[in-house]
Amino acid sequence: MQFLANPTRFLKIANAALPTVWAITIVLFAIGLYGALVTAPADYQQGETVRIMYVHVPAAWMALFVYTVMALASALALIFRHPLADVAAKTAAPIGAVFCFLSLATGSLWGKPMWGAWWVWDARLTSMFVLMLLYIGYMAIWAAIEEPHKAAMVARVVALVGFINIPIVKFSVDWWNSLHQPASVFRMGGPTIAGPMLWPLLVMGLAYTFLFLALHLTAMRAEIAARKIRQIQIAEIGDR
Amino acid sequence: MDFSANHAGFVIASYALSFVFLAGLIASTLIRDRRLRHELERLDTQRQKARS
Repeated sequence: MQFLANPTRFLKIANAALPTVWAITIVLFAIGLYGALVTAPADYQQGETVRIMYVHVPAAWMALFVYTVMALASALALIFRHPLADVAAKTAAPIGAVFCFLSLATGSLWGKPMWGAWWVWDARLTSMFVLMLLYIGYMAIWAAIEEPHKAAMVARVVALVGFINIPIVKFSVDWWNSLHQPASVFRMGGPTIAGPMLWPLLVMGLAYTFLFLALHLTAMRAEIAARKIRQIQIAEIGDR
Repeated sequence: MDFSANHAGFVIASYALSFVFLAGLIASTLIRDRRLRHELERLDTQRQKARS
């Protein structure tokens, strides 16, 4: 991890890796969408509506994963003063927020035909909504506090405290009665989904993961440039 | 995918929404990256000229 702490070294690695990461993302989306819309069968109960799963579930996985990345980066920034950790946490937030919003919105579009309601204040949905608020709150801190060091301190605490919500989201369907179905992929005893439906879901999950990686590396590169510009501008003001 | 099936509109709306938001996220990330790197390059060139 310390190897990547140097921004120059990080940029060198990111610049070299990005074209490959984008190419893998495109290939995975092509295969995943083909599987999701062409080869995967309709469900015997849900019919074609089950195809929402291939965009809803990866978005939900990524919303949880990205927040975990943010919490981990915040911990690294707090404990080891890793120079790029705050950059990693800050730039992951908007990406995670979009994934979280998409999981809520596509879940709502799936809920209406299946449950007869766009929204219910059920444990899984409510904890995902809290996650969305945590993303918004985290981004608001960076936007509201002008001094980057102060913003970073507050943001780290919010990211770490908010991480409590991640296991709550994951296990909400086991701990409370829920309209939402229990875990059917990452569970003890293996997946309960049939193979022809499972592989497109896993490929789409991988496509979303690579998309996050590509976007995160690009956003981190941009943020490093933004910080260098700020340093130059401050130095210029000092020279006058 | 059977586009004439019951509730097909919900499926189409889900994919359309995902496409629009992910495309917007990709575009905004790439545009910000390009803009800031060009700005940094411009400032670096400006500083080098001022020094020489």
